Amino acid sequence: MPLHKFNFGSFRRYTGNRWVIWTIVLSLMVALPLITIAAEMFSRGDAVWHHILHELVPSYATNTLWLLFGVGMLTITLGVGAAWLVSMFQFPGRNIFRWALIMPIAIPAYINGFTWAGMLDYTSPLYTFLRNQFGIDTGTYLFFDIMSLPGAIFILSISFYPYVYLITRAYFQTQSANLFEISASLGYGPWRTFFRTALPLARPAIVAGVSLALMEVLNDYGVASYYGVDTFTTGIFTAWFAFGDTSAALKLSGYLMVFVFVLIFAERTQRGQMRYSAQGIRKHGLTPKRLSGTGGILAGIFCSLPLLAGFILPAIMLIWWSTQTFSLIVDAGFWSLLRNSFFLAGTASLVVVAAAILLAYTVRAYSGRFVKILARITTLGYAIPGAVVAVGVLIPFLWLDNRLIQLPWVNTLLITGTWLALIYAYLVRFMAVGYNSIDSGMEKIPESLDEAARSLGMTHGKVLRKVNLPLLTGATLSAFLLTFIDVLKELPLTLILRPFNFDTLAIRAFEFATDERVAEAAPYALVIVLTGMVPVLLLNKYIGGETS
Amino acid sequence: MMITQEQPKPVLQISRVSKTFPGSCDPAVNDFSLDVEEGEIVALLGESGCGKTTMLRMIAGFETPGSGSIRIHGRLVAGDRVFVEPERRGVGIVFQDYALFPHKTVTENIRFGLFRYPHREQKAKTAEIIRLTGLAGLGKRYPHQLSGGQKQRVALARALAPEPRLILLDEPFSNLDSLKKAQMREEIASIIKKTKSTGIFVTHDTKDVLAIADKVAIMKNGIILQTGTPDKLYNYPVNQYVARFFGKTNVLHAEVTADGFQTPVGLIRANGYRLPLGQKVLLSVRPEQFEVSGCHENCLPATVTRENFLGEYKELACRIENESGKELDILVHAPPGQICDDQRCHIRHKGDVPPSVLND
Repeated sequence: MPLHKFNFGSFRRYTGNRWVIWTIVLSLMVALPLITIAAEMFSRGDAVWHHILHELVPSYATNTLWLLFGVGMLTITLGVGAAWLVSMFQFPGRNIFRWALIMPIAIPAYINGFTWAGMLDYTSPLYTFLRNQFGIDTGTYLFFDIMSLPGAIFILSISFYPYVYLITRAYFQTQSANLFEISASLGYGPWRTFFRTALPLARPAIVAGVSLALMEVLNDYGVASYYGVDTFTTGIFTAWFAFGDTSAALKLSGYLMVFVFVLIFAERTQRGQMRYSAQGIRKHGLTPKRLSGTGGILAGIFCSLPLLAGFILPAIMLIWWSTQTFSLIVDAGFWSLLRNSFFLAGTASLVVVAAAILLAYTVRAYSGRFVKILARITTLGYAIPGAVVAVGVLIPFLWLDNRLIQLPWVNTLLITGTWLALIYAYLVRFMAVGYNSIDSGMEKIPESLDEAARSLGMTHGKVLRKVNLPLLTGATLSAFLLTFIDVLKELPLTLILRPFNFDTLAIRAFEFATDERVAEAAPYALVIVLTGMVPVLLLNKYIGGETS
Repeated sequence: MMITQEQPKPVLQISRVSKTFPGSCDPAVNDFSLDVEEGEIVALLGESGCGKTTMLRMIAGFETPGSGSIRIHGRLVAGDRVFVEPERRGVGIVFQDYALFPHKTVTENIRFGLFRYPHREQKAKTAEIIRLTGLAGLGKRYPHQLSGGQKQRVALARALAPEPRLILLDEPFSNLDSLKKAQMREEIASIIKKTKSTGIFVTHDTKDVLAIADKVAIMKNGIILQTGTPDKLYNYPVNQYVARFFGKTNVLHAEVTADGFQTPVGLIRANGYRLPLGQKVLLSVRPEQFEVSGCHENCLPATVTRENFLGEYKELACRIENESGKELDILVHAPPGQICDDQRCHIRHKGDVPPSVLND
């Protein structure tokens, strides 16, 4: 008996395996920023921190809470209401609303933010038109000052309600119509059925959707900063760029993470207790009831409002401004910026997809509890706001660079301010995007295929290459595409970690907008929106296929 | 040393293997030992959840035994801190869902495991196995263009192509309709025999076992209840569970006498049991071991309470009274044409297969 077999045997199967080792490395990479933040959070802090803590943190906290509360309420109203209407009723435009209501996902919140601000501005074409034609004059801003906390809540809500809409609608779709019919047969009218049956039933879905939306609120930097609402995220930027205080930035990140973990915990407990499934009683799907007359018109108006506000109006404005500034903006510099941005997003997405495939296959091949925990950690990054990831990545890298530069042959910062740091941070933040797509693709491949291949003499690497990857082309493509879009529109993380003088589409658009040159920001924003529409349209194709 | 050469060598030796899945208290497989000889077809039989598939997966290397050892051709592959990965075991496997690679044609599927051979040999071996499994002409098809039986044959061909020492089949016939089933059983058994392979298959269907197995191990709750040839298990089950698994039987309380067993249906003559006189035992007697005739003198009268016509025979339920006056239904197979007058008859043990003494 060869000696090495005695020593490693079954032990090697789990820990000595290079698949598992790489997965451990990946999860440590994702954990690094969190560890950095946790380590700094409980230190005493300097004078700047005490100033921030006493003067600024209270308003950060109140503003963040108001944003969470307001966006929570509004996304539930818009998302659940629209989901209920398109699932239960037939009304004018319903078949278009069904898919069109998710379109706002294609427009990043910060683009919605500056577009709306520009639209309601004193000099905006809309305001000018209304003023000249109808004599409507409401001061500096049309209707109300959108650059405020309520304005930010409005913008974030019309940008993020599709999460609630999508998940809740899918949930209504899988429910048996019987439940609602029984409710009707017991004498409940549509309103009572909605509040007494549908809402409580859909609670797990609503909670899941809202927590996604609120996660995005905590991640948001662009809207809060543009609208002058100081939150923890903007606070991180202030501490970093204005005070130059890394420790304070880390501490604020820590505070922000507390919100994130409370949110995750709340969602988990809500869903854990309430896993209503009606699989056993599913008889037939919902047959939409015809709403005619006033009811139908009201339903149509209810559904068209978020769609108009979140997609159609901003899109029209962006196109309008782009035609105005096209000749000014679209020159050689524009194309090189576009190339840069796409190349960065492409590289980052390749890295993410490769890591996601590695992780997903390891979980598949070594389905132990240990590996599953590693996968959990590795996909945690999506819950961590971009600014937090950036700070958590930057500080250990700075430390490492400062050590490396003392070596005789190193004369510059090797990692900080390079693509390397940026791509690392994207990996941390967007790993889950790639992983979820790859993982759901792998779940559709029976495990017996892998086992058959192994019994025919193939190692794990060969099984992955010859069996899994050829069957995963669709999932791999969608993982790439989704990550690509997320990187392309990412703002706070890129702002902190980008190399000197390096711009992306998102940064250029945001900078123009911040300089009150919204019209010049439009062409950049439009590219992001058009790219972002690709997966949304693909998703819609899937939704369409689901019902036919 | 001619004698040792002619003796069949064990291809597979499983010794005291146990396996408990994490998060479960009861072992899925408990103290399992089995030797499989070269050229045999062995069945692991049991209800779902009895541990038979887990055992099969441990042989293939997809699960690790908690304790005990597995040897293939004398080489230790699992146990004693050794674990040989499935790709190094030389064990072919045919899955219940066939697990054909959907992106590869029949030929490509079959060639999949031959990657270590030179190109020419790959071609020759593939052609040979295609001929042997009757797949000629289907080589360019994709799995979704095949019928259930064809898929099954491709799966078998793919597993056999690299000439494994051992071939494992997980519920090989459960996805086939009953007409196809009988045909595939014969075919697969003959292919395994033709290629001189050794096969182990898992099933819950005793018909599979009786049709093609040389040896059976029947399992319940992770434990082997009985091992032996199919007819041994059929005729001499060790307990009621095994007896009933293979079909209907009469379980009778009996007392050992000098001539055999005194039962509610009278004396059943038997010898060679080496049981103390007067001992109370439980017997299993299959319905076909009884026959009915008209009631003559000093016979135990029975009343036919139910008749089921089953084709080649009819099954009668004959009610008798035992000593304590309790009524008891005995199942008897009778020729379809036989008619009992007044529904009264006499039950007699045929005597060609002695009754089986159960241990529970």
